[in-house]
Amino acid sequence: MSTLVDISFTLNGRPVKVRIPPAKTLLNVLREDLGITSVKPGCETGECGACTVLLDGEPVVSCLVLASQVQGRSVITVEGLGTEGNPDPLQETFVEEGAVQCGYCTPGFIIAARALLDHDKNPSVEEVKEALSGNICRCGAYPRIIRAVLKAAERYRWR
Amino acid sequence: MNWRWPESTSLEEVLKVHWIGASIPRLDGWPKVRGEARYPTDLVLEEMLHAKTVRSPHPHAKILSVDTSEADGMPGVAAVLTASDIPGQNRYGALVQDAPVLAEDVVRYIGEPVALVAAVCEEAAVEAAEAVNVEYQPLRPVTSIEEALSPGAPRLHSTGNVARHTVISRGSPHSAIETSDVVVETMYRTQSQKHMFLEPEGGVAWIDEDGTINVVAGGQNPYRDKLQISRVLGLPMEKIRVVSYPAGGAFGGKDDITVQIHLALLAWKTGKPVRLVWSREESGVVGYHRHPYRMEMKTGATRDGRLTANLAKIYSDTGAYQSFGPAILDVSIEMINGPYRIPNYEIDAYLVYTDNGVASAFRGFGAPQANFAIESQLNMIAEKLGMDKLEIRAMNVLGPREPGSFGVAVETEPSIQRILERARGRLSRVGTPSRGWSRRGIGVALAMKGVGFGAIPDYPAAAIEIDPDRERVVAYFTNPDYGQGVITSCAQIVAEALQLHVDKVEVVNADTALSPDTGSSSASKSTYAAGNALLLAARNAVRRLALEAARILGVPASEVGYDAGFFSAPGSRGRVSIFDAAAEMASRGSRPRFEAAFEIPRRPEPVEGTLEVPHLVFSHALAIAEVDVDLLLAKAEAKDVHLIADVGRLINPVGARAQMEGGAIQGVGYALMEEQAYSDARTENINFTTYIVPTIADVPDVSVEFVEGEEKTGPYGAKGAGEVPFVPIAAAVADAIADATGVRPTELPMNGERLSRLLASAGLLPKRLSRLLEGA
Repeated sequence: MSTLVDISFTLNGRPVKVRIPPAKTLLNVLREDLGITSVKPGCETGECGACTVLLDGEPVVSCLVLASQVQGRSVITVEGLGTEGNPDPLQETFVEEGAVQCGYCTPGFIIAARALLDHDKNPSVEEVKEALSGNICRCGAYPRIIRAVLKAAERYRWR
Repeated sequence: MNWRWPESTSLEEVLKVHWIGASIPRLDGWPKVRGEARYPTDLVLEEMLHAKTVRSPHPHAKILSVDTSEADGMPGVAAVLTASDIPGQNRYGALVQDAPVLAEDVVRYIGEPVALVAAVCEEAAVEAAEAVNVEYQPLRPVTSIEEALSPGAPRLHSTGNVARHTVISRGSPHSAIETSDVVVETMYRTQSQKHMFLEPEGGVAWIDEDGTINVVAGGQNPYRDKLQISRVLGLPMEKIRVVSYPAGGAFGGKDDITVQIHLALLAWKTGKPVRLVWSREESGVVGYHRHPYRMEMKTGATRDGRLTANLAKIYSDTGAYQSFGPAILDVSIEMINGPYRIPNYEIDAYLVYTDNGVASAFRGFGAPQANFAIESQLNMIAEKLGMDKLEIRAMNVLGPREPGSFGVAVETEPSIQRILERARGRLSRVGTPSRGWSRRGIGVALAMKGVGFGAIPDYPAAAIEIDPDRERVVAYFTNPDYGQGVITSCAQIVAEALQLHVDKVEVVNADTALSPDTGSSSASKSTYAAGNALLLAARNAVRRLALEAARILGVPASEVGYDAGFFSAPGSRGRVSIFDAAAEMASRGSRPRFEAAFEIPRRPEPVEGTLEVPHLVFSHALAIAEVDVDLLLAKAEAKDVHLIADVGRLINPVGARAQMEGGAIQGVGYALMEEQAYSDARTENINFTTYIVPTIADVPDVSVEFVEGEEKTGPYGAKGAGEVPFVPIAAAVADAIADATGVRPTELPMNGERLSRLLASAGLLPKRLSRLLEGA
């Protein structure tokens, strides 16, 4: 067995600690060690965006991040956005606009969109496309995803 | 669930118009945006083994020996299975069981499974799989339709390389072609398209205390999967449970067996929970794909544009095994004359074996290929005659109830006529100035897609349970929701039928232990099939519970009426809720659960030589595509796609629109960019870097206009929206490219490589290039 290392980081606002092989990806640590299954292994090579998380507020594909790189940092997944009674505007608008079909890509899109709206609460359609161009939705919900993001931006502005 | 109404629709309005036509948010929306939905590949079981598949590296080879001794002895290995470990029949396949579960003597495509390994962890499974020693004697592969049919080609099956050959004709097609005023003769080629669903094929299996094998995997027909598992394991059906919900996309690619039988075998042999998930690359190599076609078309018309004859030779590459190939060929046969009046035709159709993987169902199921051919033919005839492209369609389209090529009408109401009417004026609206090397073109194509299996018997069954304790209605059906929204549309149908708030309705989807067999989610029929069965079950529930209500009310049952959740009788005091009536029934030990089966209307016998021709219910869609062609870069970009469609009454308009938009976007991928290329029966583009699907940056503006007909056999008038938006896109895009450049693409996809050849062959590219070089 390879040597194990202890990694501590903040996951959705709570401190977590795991003992893992140092080369394990953040994606697999989240799924296998921490039970966070919203991060999806759509390709495991950084092509599809389904495992996107916020790392210190920046969107990264967790399949290309080694867990040892997140020591002391903050990781946010959709489980950490909003609550049942107080959802994130993106979660609301994705449902309202029909931007969810099979739903497998949805958490990654919401996280990538959240990163965009954290920087810019009034993005243009082109900017939304740019920010989400690393995420694939094979159901083709793209037009609705764009609408959901623009609508959520409006709600962020009013917050 | 916590949701808001869409802004345009107030709760009052929805209650006024009922649940049909209400764009309620999808029932599974909230768990999906919260990350709570657990997909089959997310499941983790205690002491779960991890499985790997040992696969053939050769496209065609004899297996000389399989030696598992080294793998057997490796640490952590729980099982190494080969063909000799299969207790029942070592064959599977949706229509004909011709594919080995584990190859015994011959392999016929790269990646064909030869052995299975299960171990305590993924790494141990990978190492053991590598240690299985298979000795092959490579054979010459069959790499194309042409090669498969050439004399002296290796025979892939004992019956030869032709899996099916069907000729259907009417009238005197050859002489009618000769006497036609105008004839268009073209060969079309379409490509292999990959489903590329985001969740790869995979799932888990385990054995209950009572010995039942549970298989949870993304699929499209859990009861058929269960039947196939039972044949291979030699176990009775009641020993097997299959759950196929949710799935991270399917599009036809999870309709036939993927991992289900392998999972069941491993769980059965080891007695332990097992997980088997294909990697993206594995999915790319061995997952199903859309059949590549070669179509030779000769279509004639009179001077004034009336179609006289159609000669069609269709060749479909099914790969190593049949899967759905014969039924897909049927749909192509049925679609190759379009919805048009063609008095003389001859269709000569071949399904051919090659070593190019295994082709299977994919959204459209043989219709997109045929549509690309016939609609391109029609556009060319219109061009030759100087006719309006909508006019030539209006002139030739079959009237309502008018028998078509296969003896039945393609519509019962004048829906195509209304679609063509709406399209009027839209084709001439183009005129966006072409700039520099960029040319804008507009194109059109008309499509239809059968709903259901046509002449193949199909009796979808479903159940409704009235739960008095929780005051909920539970709808049970098994055709899976893999994103298309069938659980939401069916909840609306049940709410409407029982006149209850939709929040009172819950859905249990795609679990063979809990629900009767509703059949597959495929053929644009999931809402049509499950909705109809649930409607009948709801009626049974009301009829049966009226007896309980009568007993409580002390009146004869014949006097009891039902309205908005309550039974009452004229003259009697008070009323009884449906839940109280159910409680009364339950109090005597009867479960208030009601089943019903629906028979999808069909002709008793298929057209001779086919399995499922004809269909009786069709959805229709016309696509208008605007495309920019950059002559210098030989690049076509779809800018705008407008669909005018009749998919019957809309149960959930937002859901229906989402299906239409998604279908159109996948269609744009098929038209312009997607191709799984095979070279010597080997494919290299097997992931998202090498197989390019449309991203958010590629999508055109998509708009959808519904001509809402009411299908008399549909639940509240619904038909199906899943496939028809995909079908006309390639032909419409090709027509737009022809409009922009003057040359017409006849091969898919219309990517840079093919476009540059096309433009060069038309003399477009060099002339323009030279002018550019001269500084013009």
